[in-house]
Parts: sequence; structure tokens; C-alpha cells
Amino acid sequence: MTIKNSIEVKNLVKTYGDVYALKNVNLQIAQGEYFVLLGPSGGGKTTLLRSIGGFIRPDKGSVAINGKNVDNLPPDKRPTSMVFQGFALFPHMNVSQNIGYGLKIKSISKDIIDEKVNKMMNLVGLSGLSERMPNELSGGQQQRVQLARALILENDVLLLDEPLSALDAQLRKDMCIELKRLQKTVGITFVHVTHNQEEAMSVADRIAIIANGELLEQGTPREIYSNPKNKFTAEFIGEKNIFKGKVLDFNKKLINVDIIDDTIKIANLNYDIKTNQEIYLSIKSESIDIIKKNKIEKSISKNNETINGKVSEITFLGQFVRYLVVLNNGKEIQVRTNHEVKGLKLKDNVALSWNIEDFLLHQN
Amino acid sequence: MVVFFVIPLLLTVVWSVFERTMFWMEPGFTLFSYENFFFSARLENFVVSMLHSSVSVFFSFLIGFPIAVFIRRRVAKIAQHRVMLLFILPFMVSEIIRIFALRPILSRNGLINNFLMDFNFIDSPISAFVFTPTGVVIGEIVSFLPFMIFSTFLALEAIPNYVFEVCADLGVNRRRMFKDILLPLAAPGLFAGGVFIFVNGIGIALIPTILGGPGSVNAGLIATQAIIALDFPLAMAVSAIMMFTLMGLLFIGHKLFNLTKLLEPIS
Repeated sequence: MTIKNSIEVKNLVKTYGDVYALKNVNLQIAQGEYFVLLGPSGGGKTTLLRSIGGFIRPDKGSVAINGKNVDNLPPDKRPTSMVFQGFALFPHMNVSQNIGYGLKIKSISKDIIDEKVNKMMNLVGLSGLSERMPNELSGGQQQRVQLARALILENDVLLLDEPLSALDAQLRKDMCIELKRLQKTVGITFVHVTHNQEEAMSVADRIAIIANGELLEQGTPREIYSNPKNKFTAEFIGEKNIFKGKVLDFNKKLINVDIIDDTIKIANLNYDIKTNQEIYLSIKSESIDIIKKNKIEKSISKNNETINGKVSEITFLGQFVRYLVVLNNGKEIQVRTNHEVKGLKLKDNVALSWNIEDFLLHQN
Repeated sequence: MVVFFVIPLLLTVVWSVFERTMFWMEPGFTLFSYENFFFSARLENFVVSMLHSSVSVFFSFLIGFPIAVFIRRRVAKIAQHRVMLLFILPFMVSEIIRIFALRPILSRNGLINNFLMDFNFIDSPISAFVFTPTGVVIGEIVSFLPFMIFSTFLALEAIPNYVFEVCADLGVNRRRMFKDILLPLAAPGLFAGGVFIFVNGIGIALIPTILGGPGSVNAGLIATQAIIALDFPLAMAVSAIMMFTLMGLLFIGHKLFNLTKLLEPIS
């Protein structure tokens, strides 16, 4: 099966003075895909989105949409619409005027505009608010107006630049669900820029991690979350347990890693490594079991590794309990369980165990 | 506000109904000054000067609006206020000198006529530039244009950049941009600038004195002449009429455009 590419970005470079905003970015987004560009502020994701939309002219490289090169087209001639950061509405027009303006300037008859505006308002959940002015709307409502104003043009691609950043946390979660639903309903390609990994995970079909002007990796939310290839990605999606180490030796199945004063055995998942190579390891805090030291004799399966340490902090987080454990080499490791370990107190000696496949190796 | 505006305004109105004496005035109540104004050539002069001022406002808009838009859209953000400063510089020179300096520029042997003749645009000098209503209008535009640019720029500056990006995304052309976006959003500024020019146009006696011909009179000049003739109640009546005209205009403007918007960023 060949999936037609909606957007194809090739070797995109953009500099501002001496600073590279984009360093040779390549990207393919399939038709009807909800694609998220995720990364820290100033990483180049907005520059990439704006290059796709035609608001920025890249120094090098090309952008094709639906197989057609659009490098020389202004924003309005590209089959894209944009939802801008913040609440970018025309302040002097009411809701229906804002939504219908893109059609009005195309000299489409008023009846057709009214009909489409009504349809759009229903679609994004704004029915009954057509006469309101932007300053009489809540943040969430203003973003819905922006969505409707962009979608009414029936372009093939919707670009969303941090569309939810100005909303509070709860509203952001609700809007994520709505955005996903909306995208399924209209069936067009959405490209969404955000620095919030939770937002990205909840809406995306695929995610690209972008930092320092580079596309570090891309994959489904599950791939990015459970198997980040990059140390940066691991950090960015919230991994706390990242260790620097050196490859001692390895075979097809196992790798021995020296993490200073301790050795860890991890599974070799076809990593491309050399002996003595400096690498990073990470493990999710929920993948570690914490066991009180005097119960260590309890059988531990042979696929598991253990390491000793001392509890330095216990935090109750509602759904989870978080333990900070100091290892013999002074490193801290974070463990998250969904129940409190009975009788475990501060300064108790504990053993941590994990499945050797849960430790991931990152090249940089 | 009360001391510097309300009290003088009330005094002006009160004095305007006082009886005229030889050298000053005495308390009383008479509408003689108003009769004197409304049933004489003064009313006609007042109306004509309003007309001239309206023409000045119109041309100031034609010239000032594009300049303000240019500064807002094409000049780099950090340089915008510096460019604005350029328009303040002429105000460092006394108004009399500024207006007087227009005479050698506009007169029959002035710079403009010489230039036009040298390049054979015209055969004989145009004498309508000075000592005519045209001269007054030119003087008013030159003197007050910066105010139109200022207040319009202020209104345009408050338009967030995203508005222009949205326009680019939707494909709004120049005509639409002007009519649907810039004009409505700059309206409070345009109005404020317009009122300022209008009121100064009818109020400042210097310009018709220096650039207008013998018959050129505006409200300010009527009041000045009344004072010279020691008719203080008449001068007060003219001033009061000007002030009410201004207040009426501001009231209408505020109802139409909500002028407080000028001072707050658009949310």
C-alpha cells in the first residue's frame, strides 16, 4: 500500500543571521495524518511550520504539498490554512464575520457564506455565538473561531501553531480531544506545533521531535514514548532516569555498561555500538520495582537486574507514589509505583530491579 | 481638569452673555454677542472656515494615512518611534516662523513656482498658492499633518501583527485590507487627528493672517479681532461656540468609535 504524501519537505535550511533555525530538515507527512511537531521553544518547529505555510522563505530546500512544489507561492495560494498562536481574531468583527471573512473576500455570495459559516459554527461548537465580538469570548471559544475561520476555506492542510498554549490545563485537555475529533471529521492533514508532550501524545498519529533546528526522530506517540532513540527525546518526554555510561562489552543479546562504580546489564536491541563508546542509558521510573532489602531473597527472575540503594525521598502524588533512591555511586534514581510499598521508610536499604529490556540505550 | 478646563469654559460662557462696556464688560444677561455673531458676516466666515478646515482634514487624511500605514507596516519595529520623532522636529521651531517660512516657498516667485517654471510644467507662476483659501489649506496641512500621522500611527500600532498574517493567509488584497481592516481599526486615530486639525483650522488665527488673503477669516481671527476692538463678550461668544462645536464633534466621535480604544491595545 502506498500512502500519498500530503506534505514533503526536502533539505530545508533557514538561518537568522548566524543562527540556524532549521538545519537540513527532511519530513514527509501522509494525507489525512494528524502530525505533531514537538520540541522546546526556539527549536525551529514554528519556523518549519511557517515555511510550510509560506510565511517564511527558507534559504534552501523545498516544500511540496500534494506533490506540487509550492516554494514560490504566497500563503494564500498554498492549499494550507493556519491557526495562529494566541487568539488571532479580527478584533473589530464578530464571530460569524471572522469565520466568513476568508470567503467574503473571494466574492462568494452571501447566502452560501452564511450557510457555510453556520455549518462551521456547529462543527466547532460555537452555535448561538455568531453575534459575539472576540473580546466577549473565552479563550477556548476564540480558538474555535480561529479553527472555523481556517477550516471554512476547505484547504487540504491545516497548520496549527501552538493552538492551545494560551489555554489553561484542563481546557487544553478538552480541546485536544476536540481537535482529534475534528480532524477525523474533516479528514484533512493537520500539522500541529507544540512544546507540550502530553498535548502531542494525545492528538498525534505521528510525532516529530525537533530541537536546535534538527529533526531528531519521528514515530507514533507509542514509539516516541516507550522507545525514544535519542537522549534528548528521552529527556524531553519526561524521563528522569538518564545515566551516562561506557560500553564495557557486548554480544548479540546483552550489553554490559559501566555507569561509574556499578555495572548494568541491558538487552541489546540491535544497537549500533562499539566497545568503550560513551553512551546514555535511560529507564522509565514506572518500569522499576522497589524491594525492601531484607526481602531480597525472594526469587528474582533471571531476566531481571538489581542494584542496591537507599531511599532518600518519598512523595505521594495521588495516583502514584514516587521514591527517590540514592545508588552506591551517589546517583539518584526515580521509581514510580501505583501503590505504596508496605513498611518502606526513608533511609531504608532497598534493591531496585527491572527487566533488562526496559533499559534503553541512547547514542547521544 | 476642573481648574484648567471646566472653570475657564464656564467663565467663557458666562462672560459671553455679559454687557459690553467701553473698555471691558459688566455683569448682566444679553444675547447680543451671539446675535452679533449669528446675524452678521461672521457666521458666514465661520462656516467658510469650517469648510476650509474640512478640506484640510481630508487632505491630511489622504497624505497622513498612507504615511502612517507605511511606518507601521514597512519600517522596522525598533525604528518606528524614531521615524515618528522626525515629525516632531518641525515643532521645535516657533509656529509663526514655520508658517511664515511657507510664504517664500508658495509665493509667485517662490520655490515651488520657480521649480515648476524651470522644468516647464507651467508657463506663468501660479498665484493661488498664497493669500488665498488654498494658501490657508496648504498652511493648515503643513502645520497639522504630523498630528494626523501620529494619532493614526498610534491606532495602527495597536493592531497586533497576527492580523496582517491572517490577511496573508486568507489572501486579502490591498483594497480589502484598506477597507475592511486598516480603516476600521485606525478609525479612532483618524477621527482624533481629524478633530484636532479641524479645531485648530478654525481656531488658530495665525494661518489666515499670514497665508490667507485680505478676506480670509476663521473663528480664531474673529475672536482676535473682537478683542482688538475691545468687544470682549463677542470674543467670548466666538470662543464658546468653537468649544461647543469641538465638544459636539468629540461626543459624536466617541459614540461612533469609542475613542478610549486609542489608549488601550486591542485584545
